[in-house]
Amino acid sequence: MSERGLRISNLQAGVEGNAILKGIDLEVLPGSVHALMGPNGSGKSTLAFSMAGHPSYHVTAGSVTLDGEELIGLAPDKRAKSGLFLSFQYPAAIPGVSVANFIRTARQAVRPDDLTPAKFRALIFEKLDTLDMDAAFLSRYVNDGFSGGEKKRLEMLQLAMLAPKYAVLDETDSGLDVDALKAVGKSVNALRESESGKEIGFLIITHYPRILQHIAADHVHIMMDGRIVKSGGPELANVIERDGYDKIREEVAASVG
Amino acid sequence: MSVSRLGAVRGFSKASLDALLAHAGEGSILAAARYNALARYEELPVRSAVRGGRGWKYDLAKLDLSEIAPFAPGPDAEIDLESLSPAARRAGVTIERFSRARESHRLAFDRAFGMALDSRDDKFASLALAFQNHGTFIDVPAGVVVEEPIVVGYEARETALFPYTLVALGAGARATVTERLASTSGDAFVCGLSELVLAERAHLTYVVEQRLSSAARSIVTRRALLAANAELDVALAELGAKHTVSRLRALEDAPGARTGVVAVFFSDGDQHVDIETETIHAAGNTSSETIVRSAGTGHGQGRYLGNIKILPNAHGANASLRDDALLLSAGAHIDSIPALEIAANDVKAFHGATVGAISDEELFYAESRGIERAQAERMIALGFFEPAVSRFPGESVRDAIRATLEDKIAPRAVELV
Repeated sequence: MSERGLRISNLQAGVEGNAILKGIDLEVLPGSVHALMGPNGSGKSTLAFSMAGHPSYHVTAGSVTLDGEELIGLAPDKRAKSGLFLSFQYPAAIPGVSVANFIRTARQAVRPDDLTPAKFRALIFEKLDTLDMDAAFLSRYVNDGFSGGEKKRLEMLQLAMLAPKYAVLDETDSGLDVDALKAVGKSVNALRESESGKEIGFLIITHYPRILQHIAADHVHIMMDGRIVKSGGPELANVIERDGYDKIREEVAASVG
Repeated sequence: MSVSRLGAVRGFSKASLDALLAHAGEGSILAAARYNALARYEELPVRSAVRGGRGWKYDLAKLDLSEIAPFAPGPDAEIDLESLSPAARRAGVTIERFSRARESHRLAFDRAFGMALDSRDDKFASLALAFQNHGTFIDVPAGVVVEEPIVVGYEARETALFPYTLVALGAGARATVTERLASTSGDAFVCGLSELVLAERAHLTYVVEQRLSSAARSIVTRRALLAANAELDVALAELGAKHTVSRLRALEDAPGARTGVVAVFFSDGDQHVDIETETIHAAGNTSSETIVRSAGTGHGQGRYLGNIKILPNAHGANASLRDDALLLSAGAHIDSIPALEIAANDVKAFHGATVGAISDEELFYAESRGIERAQAERMIALGFFEPAVSRFPGESVRDAIRATLEDKIAPRAVELV
């Protein structure tokens, strides 16, 4: 069996003694797009943070392997170096650190010495263009005074520049206007179509089906109360669009009873 | 008096001042000012440290100066005269050693000397005036603009250094002056005074780079007097010495004056840094902006007092004070004490302050991008200073400050041979 893939097995995790994830099983193969949808409080962000190694979240059982390498127990920076990227729902501001400096440092950390300064500049300008971002962004301080749309664009710029193996997008579409949403979609699609990006596996975590109008998902999973309760193809997103989560909730309750 | 006798004089008293003057041979007016200053030094108590009790390493009140030799017959301070262009010289810009300035530029000197000081001045400002032994007088005549920065470097050696920098700008003049304090190794004691006198519409940018050695002690008082529509931009980088006391006061004495102060300090190891800034709005439509960024690591201690005084006649005054401190170790301690005294109604005054550690959220965000923890801390800590450092004039000055800060954040490991 091939080792390639982002494999979440029976993942159980929580925060401050509260169990939130009650056994998540999910596999994202290279080049595929999985959407994970669920109502508020279902544990979606807990899953994202547990995978990335946020210190407040504690994994109590299960594993997450990336191309065969166990991530649980690794420091967050090591997970990124293994090839994991997390796009934050609420990215932190780092005043005084310019976007250019930050991305250069990050790129150097995950792919040491692979780009000359000139090549780095060429690459980042190309990605800025795809995202409809002005070059002025590069000298602004990371997320400092950024609008919601600007923050999400910066997450996408980092995704493009760090070229991970697997990308987890945590509610990247929350609170976005149509233009910003389109930019996110355009960026992900451009990456998937590129030579370097077509093998990236995506896990898109979202509350609303909107983002899936811009990014085609291969598989859709519904999460509720810390478990994945239903999985299917893209048409599952349409069910949510039409009926909300209540119908699925009833279905799940009925099957348990 | 022979050289060897001079070296034997110790402590600060009339006798040592007599000896200094016999050596320096100044005119009687300046000597009178010195004796008056010495008398004030002897009378005045040390201005008591505000809540200084709790384990502050250095208490000014307990400073024992009796063993310090007040002067040595060594060379005068280094003054960089190369930076003055022929055009500036032709326009009448003066840079002269203090000891000769009064002889060669009497009118200009007398017009400026003592203008920014007053009787409120404290014990150590008086000591600095009394024992002034290395000084620079800079005079920029009315209307003259000096593009290239004028750099004044003072180097402390084994004895006490009393630098006195007197800068006078005529109406509409513009200049940038950089005051550098450095020391070769040793227990240097620096007690200095800077007087900045700005005529109407003058614009002075004054940069202080203090990089005294780690055993040095520095007590420097800086006073500025601004006439109508004058502008003063002060940038202070207090980075060295084991004990730094730095006091700045700008008096906006006429309408339309503006002061901008930016200060950075970083207490590491066993350093103790004590900075006070004060802007006094004594006339209408005056403005001031003060930005201070500081950090502590190791067992460093720091204290910043930020004073804004808006007097009753300062209608339409606009003042802001922003002070942020970053603690990088459990043993570091920084006190941030703002004081706003506002006696007029139709004014704007803003104050904000924070003291804290690097946030976990910022750290995790950087680490999630592959940046390892230690490097993330360095990057974030250096970034913390950036809003203040970016306000220092000149890229080479900024780069030099960033390099010093970076060394303090991550001291180079000592190589064991």
